[in-house]
Amino acid sequence: MDATATIDFLNDVKSKLRRSASDLSKWKLYNSARWSSEAILGMCDITDLSTVNPYMEDDESPLKGRKGIPDPENNRRNSDDLDNMTGKEYDLYLLASTLFDCKEFDRCAYYLTDADHPCLKFLQLYSKYLSWDKKTQENLESTLALGKSRGGEDDGNDIDGKIANNAGLKRCDIDSDTNNKSQKIIDIGNGDTTSISILIKDLNKFLELHDSDTSLGTALLYYLRGILYKSQDINSTAMTSFLKSVTLYPHNWACWWELLNCLARPDESLLLLKLLNEKFGMDQHNSGSTSGQIMLRFFKLSLFQEFSGNIDDFIEELDYLLNIFPNFAFLKTQHALINYHYMDYVNSELIFDQIIKLDPYRLDDLDVYSNILYVMQKSSKLAYLAQFASGVDRYRPESCCIVANYYSAKQEHEKSIMYFRRALTLNKSCTSAWTLMGHEFVELKNSHAAIECYRRAVDINSRDFKAWYGLGQAYEVLDMHLYSLYYFQKACSLKPLDKRMWQALASCYEKIGNSEESIKCYVRALQLSINSDQDTSILYRLALLYEKLKDSENCENYMVKCVEAEQSSDGLVTDETTKARLWLARYQAKHKKFAEAYNYALGVTHGTSQEIEEARSIARECRRRME
Amino acid sequence: MSHGNTPSQHNSTIAISPLVANASSQAQSQRQQQSGARHWSGPTSTAQTPHNPVAYSPLVQKIQKNASLATPAPHVDNGSTAGLLASMTKNGLFGPAIPSTLRKVSIGARDIPHSTSKPNGLVTGNHDKDDGNPTAYITAGMPGINIADLPAAEKLRLWRHDALMQHHYRTAEYIGDKVYSMTQDPNDAFWLAQVYYSNGSYIRAVELLSGDNLDSSSVMCRYLTALCLIKLGKYDEALDIVGELNPFRDSPGHLVKNQDGGIKLESSLCYLRGKIYSAQNSFEKAKESLKEAVQVDVKNFEAFDELISNNLLTPNEEWDFLSTLDFSDLDDNEDLIRSLYVTRLSKYLNLEEVNKAHDFLVEEYKLKDNTGVIQSKVDMLFTQCKFTNCLKLCETVLEKDEFNFTILPTYISCLYELGGKNKLFLISHKLAENFPKHATTWFGVGTYYMCINKISEARKYFSKASILDPTFGQAWIGFAHTYAIEGEHEQAVSAYSTASRFFPGTHLPNLFLGMQYLLMDTLSLAEEYFILAYDVCPYDPLLLNEMGVLFFKKNDYLKAKKYLKKAWEAIKRLDSESKSWVSIHTNLAHTYRKLGDNERAVRCFKLVLETAGKDTDTLCALGFVYLRMNRIEKAIDSLHSSLALCPSNQAAQDLLKQALDVNLTTVLDENHPLVVNSRIQEYGVGLTSKKRSSANFDASIIAKRLKQGQDSTDDEGDEMDLE
Repeated sequence: MDATATIDFLNDVKSKLRRSASDLSKWKLYNSARWSSEAILGMCDITDLSTVNPYMEDDESPLKGRKGIPDPENNRRNSDDLDNMTGKEYDLYLLASTLFDCKEFDRCAYYLTDADHPCLKFLQLYSKYLSWDKKTQENLESTLALGKSRGGEDDGNDIDGKIANNAGLKRCDIDSDTNNKSQKIIDIGNGDTTSISILIKDLNKFLELHDSDTSLGTALLYYLRGILYKSQDINSTAMTSFLKSVTLYPHNWACWWELLNCLARPDESLLLLKLLNEKFGMDQHNSGSTSGQIMLRFFKLSLFQEFSGNIDDFIEELDYLLNIFPNFAFLKTQHALINYHYMDYVNSELIFDQIIKLDPYRLDDLDVYSNILYVMQKSSKLAYLAQFASGVDRYRPESCCIVANYYSAKQEHEKSIMYFRRALTLNKSCTSAWTLMGHEFVELKNSHAAIECYRRAVDINSRDFKAWYGLGQAYEVLDMHLYSLYYFQKACSLKPLDKRMWQALASCYEKIGNSEESIKCYVRALQLSINSDQDTSILYRLALLYEKLKDSENCENYMVKCVEAEQSSDGLVTDETTKARLWLARYQAKHKKFAEAYNYALGVTHGTSQEIEEARSIARECRRRME
Repeated sequence: MSHGNTPSQHNSTIAISPLVANASSQAQSQRQQQSGARHWSGPTSTAQTPHNPVAYSPLVQKIQKNASLATPAPHVDNGSTAGLLASMTKNGLFGPAIPSTLRKVSIGARDIPHSTSKPNGLVTGNHDKDDGNPTAYITAGMPGINIADLPAAEKLRLWRHDALMQHHYRTAEYIGDKVYSMTQDPNDAFWLAQVYYSNGSYIRAVELLSGDNLDSSSVMCRYLTALCLIKLGKYDEALDIVGELNPFRDSPGHLVKNQDGGIKLESSLCYLRGKIYSAQNSFEKAKESLKEAVQVDVKNFEAFDELISNNLLTPNEEWDFLSTLDFSDLDDNEDLIRSLYVTRLSKYLNLEEVNKAHDFLVEEYKLKDNTGVIQSKVDMLFTQCKFTNCLKLCETVLEKDEFNFTILPTYISCLYELGGKNKLFLISHKLAENFPKHATTWFGVGTYYMCINKISEARKYFSKASILDPTFGQAWIGFAHTYAIEGEHEQAVSAYSTASRFFPGTHLPNLFLGMQYLLMDTLSLAEEYFILAYDVCPYDPLLLNEMGVLFFKKNDYLKAKKYLKKAWEAIKRLDSESKSWVSIHTNLAHTYRKLGDNERAVRCFKLVLETAGKDTDTLCALGFVYLRMNRIEKAIDSLHSSLALCPSNQAAQDLLKQALDVNLTTVLDENHPLVVNSRIQEYGVGLTSKKRSSANFDASIIAKRLKQGQDSTDDEGDEMDLE
């Protein structure tokens, strides 16, 4: 790719992003707009090149902006939008927009009721949705009242009994009130009800009429449709909507993000990626020539965070993007996050330090940073971060999480929980806060509350393997191994390459008494272990399981392996190796192989006094026998 | 004047206006001749042009002197008729300069005197008012006659009529009495009786009419007597007057067309008979009489309305009945009236025809904003359970006409369905202030109380509404519902059965009866009632749904499936997505579950969940099906979410335990999802080549699908196929 082509491409990306930033903020999608504008500022400098570039139509010089002269392109854009709208529509937009900004959503929706312009329709439905959301929030009793049972209504009618209730007096509608509550229908008593399904119906009707339309408005409507379906837990339809929206208008980052959130399983992510590659023409190896592809690359990075994959590909993509957007905090955060996921805390911390230097008041993802500091036990730094974050904005969920982490590090779990709660009041769909709060409850030995927290976490984000794992552990504490098994399975299917998951599964199977499956799991864990021949605890457990199954050959085998692990790890003696030695000594002695037994018994130098005592007696016995 | 001059059953009262009779005896005799001629030729002559009868009518005969106005224009534009009426009211009634209605009308009528049939029909439709109107036409018809030239009695008659028209009843009574005493003319007696009737002194009217034995000699007087008796509640006597059967049914003039554009008295008599029968609770006879009334003269809208709005006919009967009607009497208004009538019929079937009629009315007659036309749309939306749209439409009507009692009951029901208790409160208050004696008012109040769950108050007001108007169906049903809600099955049953007796044309009471019995587990009785309801209206999805449930309870799943599918089709035809939609699908899903058709059951359950949101029992059932299909993970997931919604769901708890047990014993072999999943992931990570060869991915994914036997994206093909 020659220089001019690159510059053209970069300029294209830049202007597209600019346009998206202004469009999206115009239509009140502030987060996406923020992302776009951050990206523009984080882009590499192309001014030097542009001065020599004859193809540049609009002056990208940053000086221009500084002088306060309005960007000519910007003007053109605005008039573009005006062209699409009639004068009346534009006036309506002005009113609706201000109403929206004043948070008068109902009024905004009312004025736009008959709007036919897709963008205005979007604004109408969006404000309706927001109004609904606000009202349901208000109606909800404190969701954070934990440990309270969520209302036991009718009990004990078996599955067939149900149909009768179901069929009951539909026209009389006895329990319309409870019905409303469960379906979250908002009405203000004048028959004007709002519920998600009504919104969806409205939206679908509009989209049907404007089927062939490919304007920004349609893209936004599809995005909204996705959000609505997602809130109804109909992920497949939500996903198709987001996909459609992304194809029509790729520069809406929030839409990509929501698309990602629709995925529940790793295999789905592969399928989706394939589809997107086809859609954006990424198959042809013409590395990144449209701005849409740039967005796809960003998406791939986020996807990788959630589902992992081939790390080399990830690094490649990251490098590519970092070349274009060297100062984009979002990208750096992705870098830091991947290091965090690969448990490279040191590097992750370094990158976070950079990010803070680059954009000191950016609080996004800093809660992850605090997690890192927590794990690394850098409590002074954590304290500083906590002070700093709450100084910037104490009512951001991120800052609350950071403070909570800080208290947790100080072993003040109650306070920590309080702050997590605060974070959740601010944003109830903050999964990591739920999970971490669960951990805190575990610390406090309150398994039931912990379970409740974890459950919320997985309700919001079923890809959070930590929450699933936490659920498994909490149930294990409660001796409900069947449940615990299921949750470990869930965690394992999300992180099938993590040996801890398999280990947890194995021990769970073992506790319920299913030795065969337990063995399989341990074997799998062993395969995934980096230094599989040194993992003495797994080896020992395997041996024991075989013993239980009366498979003495395999048992001996693993015991030997376990003992050998000691040698390969430079003579590091663990409890397991000691026990293995003792077992082998006993075993060999039983099989009259006194020499071996003697050797093993001699090796037992650590362990409890009884073990050492027993080893000695075996050694004595063996020596006697050998003589 | 002999008695013979009072109209026969073929004529309307226009003919006997005393002025018509006396002002021009020449015209009178001409009329007699002609009507006599038509008596003999009427049934056979088919070659008449549609406007001929009007030309023969006595009024027109008189007008004919005014040559240019003699025949009505072939197509009388509706607009001009309206204009006539408007000009009458505007220029006339409220004009300060005009001293009496007589003068004014004659002035107004001089300009546009010809389209007489319309206002006359209108006037004669309301017997209790405005009977002075004929005067207007007479004077209009005789522009040359100077009032001063009339004999003294005529002048008094004019005075009487004007007084009646201006509702000066005492004047009218006073003068009428004098005229009658002076002339002893039966027509004057009749008009005096008319004054008594308007004044509310029914008994005096009856005494007057029967005293001179007028009621036996004149059909018109007989009609008025009967009407008065009905008003007095003396139904048996009224029936004696009108006779138990239509005495003119077999007379040769039965098929004679009406000649003056008014409503045939025979039809009105039939209508009275119908009213008497329905007051005496013999609905079958009432139905027949009312049907006859409309058949004799389609212009008898009272009877038609009585038939339709009181649900005396079943949906099918309504449509059959309409096809028997003869609209040819209406000349160029034939299509208009037929379409108007069509829009009043049941919306359960022949939707296209209703729509066609509706469009016709809107396009041809510009009746888009007419209340009656909108009402048909409102009814349709209500039948389809599209309450939101229905409500909006109702509100547009009520904006113009706040107390439109044909719309209000639907409006109130809509508000109830949508939970608009605030608006219900307001409208009930307004109604109670303005119409404390109207049934709809108390129906609204009752509905409001039901909405806020105060059942006993609701019952009180519903019963008040049905006492005020025993033919008000909604109030009866609401009354019965109050018992049903409180679980008082016995009382509910008796209330519903009363309702079903009163409204033989609607299936709802029987349906609700069946539902009550279903709740009481008396399946055989329930079935009987459902079949009764089914005979009346086999199109209601709710009924079909209930029948499905009935057979489900009887463990006859195949039949249940049959009915539920029918219900499904019916609701699809109605194009509605209401609560019943959800319950039909749920029930269908359960039936599939029982029939072992797991795939379809799953699809149905999913559809329900997507449409109606999460529900603990649906999720539980879905979990059960998954468990049976051995899709453990999904089973556990849905059981969990079921329990999350309602932790005390015992069934879900048991099933979950079972599912977890199965999960434990599932062997971790090659096919276990976990193993497959991990292998795929390993594959993805191990793929070090920089090219992402999608082909490889494909293979692995497909392989996985095959092995797992699990549809990870089973969402794509979620359309219902229910074959």
